[in-house]
Amino acid sequence: MIFNSLTFLVFFAIVLALHYAPFFSWHQKKINLLIASYLFYAAWNPPFVALLWISTVVDWWAAQWMVRARRERTRKLWMLTSVVVNLGMLGYFKYGGFLLANFVAVAGSLGIVYHPPGWDIVLPVGISFYTFATLSYTLDVYLRRSAPAGSFLNYALFVTFFPHLVAGPIMRPTELVPQFEQPRQAKPDQIGFGLALLTLGLFQKVVLADGFLAPVVEAVYDAHGKLPGMLDSWVATFAFAGQIFCDFAGYSTSAIGVALCMGFAMPDNFRFPYGAVGFSDFWRRWHITLSSWLRDYLYIPLGGNRHGRARTYAALMGTMLLGGLWHGANWTFVVWGGLHGVYLSVERWLKQRFKGFTPGRASILGLALLTFLLVNVTWVFFRAKTFAGAGVVLKGMAGMQVKPEPLIAAGPMIIAMVIVSGIFGTHLTMRDTTLERVIERTPAVAIASIWALLLFAVIIEQGQGNAFIYFAF
Amino acid sequence: MPSSISRSDAHEDEVRGVREGALPAGLRKTAANRPGQAQPVPTRDIPLQPWARLALFVAVAVTLLTTGWEVEMRRQGLHAGDIDDSPQAWAEQRRAGSTAAVAIVGDSRILFDTNLDRFQALTGIRPIQTAIVGTNARALLENYANDPKFKGLLIVGLADVGYFRPDGIGFGGAYMHAFEKNGKPAQVTGLWIDRWLQQYFAFMDSDYRLSLMLPRFDHGWRSGADSPYEDVWKISETYADRQYAMWDRIESGGYLRDHARHAWGGFKGPKVPPAIIAKVVARSAEAVRRIRARGGEVIFIRPPSAPELRVNEDQRLPRSRGWDALLAGTHARGIHADDLPQAQNLVIPEWSHLSRRCATVFTDAYVRRLVQLTNRLKLRADAPPPLSRADCVPRAIAMNK
Repeated sequence: MIFNSLTFLVFFAIVLALHYAPFFSWHQKKINLLIASYLFYAAWNPPFVALLWISTVVDWWAAQWMVRARRERTRKLWMLTSVVVNLGMLGYFKYGGFLLANFVAVAGSLGIVYHPPGWDIVLPVGISFYTFATLSYTLDVYLRRSAPAGSFLNYALFVTFFPHLVAGPIMRPTELVPQFEQPRQAKPDQIGFGLALLTLGLFQKVVLADGFLAPVVEAVYDAHGKLPGMLDSWVATFAFAGQIFCDFAGYSTSAIGVALCMGFAMPDNFRFPYGAVGFSDFWRRWHITLSSWLRDYLYIPLGGNRHGRARTYAALMGTMLLGGLWHGANWTFVVWGGLHGVYLSVERWLKQRFKGFTPGRASILGLALLTFLLVNVTWVFFRAKTFAGAGVVLKGMAGMQVKPEPLIAAGPMIIAMVIVSGIFGTHLTMRDTTLERVIERTPAVAIASIWALLLFAVIIEQGQGNAFIYFAF
Repeated sequence: MPSSISRSDAHEDEVRGVREGALPAGLRKTAANRPGQAQPVPTRDIPLQPWARLALFVAVAVTLLTTGWEVEMRRQGLHAGDIDDSPQAWAEQRRAGSTAAVAIVGDSRILFDTNLDRFQALTGIRPIQTAIVGTNARALLENYANDPKFKGLLIVGLADVGYFRPDGIGFGGAYMHAFEKNGKPAQVTGLWIDRWLQQYFAFMDSDYRLSLMLPRFDHGWRSGADSPYEDVWKISETYADRQYAMWDRIESGGYLRDHARHAWGGFKGPKVPPAIIAKVVARSAEAVRRIRARGGEVIFIRPPSAPELRVNEDQRLPRSRGWDALLAGTHARGIHADDLPQAQNLVIPEWSHLSRRCATVFTDAYVRRLVQLTNRLKLRADAPPPLSRADCVPRAIAMNK
């Protein structure tokens, strides 16, 4: 189920009631949470719960045997078992069709005609997220960054804990398992703030992303042969920048709020990313738990910046290309990741070339704007389903469309641009602070009024129960 | 020994968890600040505010605001009990359609113009309503043709120019695409809760969402772009079993009815080329053949449209080139509204769909003809007496005709 659904509201009310019921022990409450998390996942597609079980059991035992192993080779073998099982499942469900299609294309280019049977596999929701979460467990144990969890229940709950299960934040076992070791009960203030965060997340998703921004994006990106001009192409791409942020950050904010209501702390996943100055700054602010995962388990093992300049750039590009592929089985995602890799490499080179440069206020604003614009160029490949589709929008953005048609009506365009400007402005002004600091310094009356208006907007927008974009990743 | 995921072994400053008061941004670190190490329990700051009192204020304020909104929406003509249609509701009916004795597919006309209660009162069978607004009926016919379980009578309601399109399914594409997903537990329970709430709240209407209402102020400000003003706004109410009926605010006239008429654009458009007609007939014939091969049956129905639209529809596709060719090509039987004496000059408020009461009259008329065309349906011995135009046309209008 998804946070922006009536089913979830009922589910969450029951979970909270069980969590705060005085007659359950902490052990029983954890079992309740585990069952609730399986139900949360099974509500999409019950059979796929089996994948969660496989992942949980394999990684639990792999870590246990890794610790007991006396030889380094045996440890490595158990680590590889975990990696192969997890990436195998991910590869089969997510990349099987993609690999097959590419194999057929390559064979075709060599003159070999091959007609494989249809690859009609349903993608299990959130498989990319929980695969990475469980992999971090065995990898941390293998890298001796942490010891295995002391209890199977705590570990199973870490894997399945419903607030982060399907779309992150991608949690590490060291972040969550210790929280299960002692009873957790939120104080009234924590529940209040948790509910406020849940409201903010739902507002971002239901009202901004789905309600106002998605139709503007679809008017251009799903225009079915109509050619957008410069204005429409840029507005739709800006709108998508707003949509993808509100969709994904909305999910993370909701997840953090939901966990907080039960007394659990989840990590930040976004830090006002459109206020970033440069791309390394952007990736410290955008989908933080994924970028740090890729850094810790891919970039650093690939050598990071420890083996000279060429190797650093290669590691950077490799990490970003694979990071792109993580988002979806499509070459457009690879190009999206590749573009970010290029941006990061160029930025790295420029930083070394102009070491003494300290930007002033105007320069920071200009660089933030440039960063935002270049990030928007990458969003074209992220949103377009094909390279041809991306080409149409990029051509429009460059003003090179021969006979463009107006695709976005004035009203929705104005509303979308007001929202996106608001997001960009907010991120710029809040780039050096946190939401919590701002809330603390704002009068209570203003906080209450804004909270009430956001919740009221969510209610009257109603929402169509649209899935979060990242569920498909 | 490596840092453990046991709380007792971790550094105290890393095991803050939930913390009262907001830390300065620089002190609240994220995984981005800790490369290549085990990430500690994250810190979640709780800003110092009277959260319990704020929550109470919000609860009261939102209750008042929502009550006010509910009152305003009822003043706008929305009713509690109008439970809305959705892809989930369609999926529910479609699942039932597989084993139904009678199922209906088509576009919005057969959806509005069929009264399920009347159908059942006449035949003892309640058909499964799986027509979808703005959808090519042929796609739905093919959907049933591809369903090996379906062996019943399929009523295909169509608006000619909508049916004779080479490609494109219309709104129904999304419904059919999400059919499997909409049968999953999360979707089904969501549908139940949504329906229950809509029994009490009028404002829960998908046509009166904030994001749809706000852009409607744009009356075509940008030339050439498809303005939200040109969209079809709310014209129907929906009840159990996807029973559609004309919204009373459209029936009573005024701005909304004028807008609805405007939104149809007169059904103007280019003439349908012969090649497309041949292609559509061929595909329909194949779908009909497959249903018949399983023991099923297909009957086409063409509901009425007002003269203001009909003139353009006929210009684009005259009956002889469309309807007649379809029946001949598929060897199927059909009921055209023109051929039903009891269905002439009915009230079509916004020119495309019958009024609530006239839909019952039209259903009565076509079902009585239907039982003559197929032995799958029989008129009940205790069937109510036939209806006529006088049963639905207001006297003032009837006298003017």
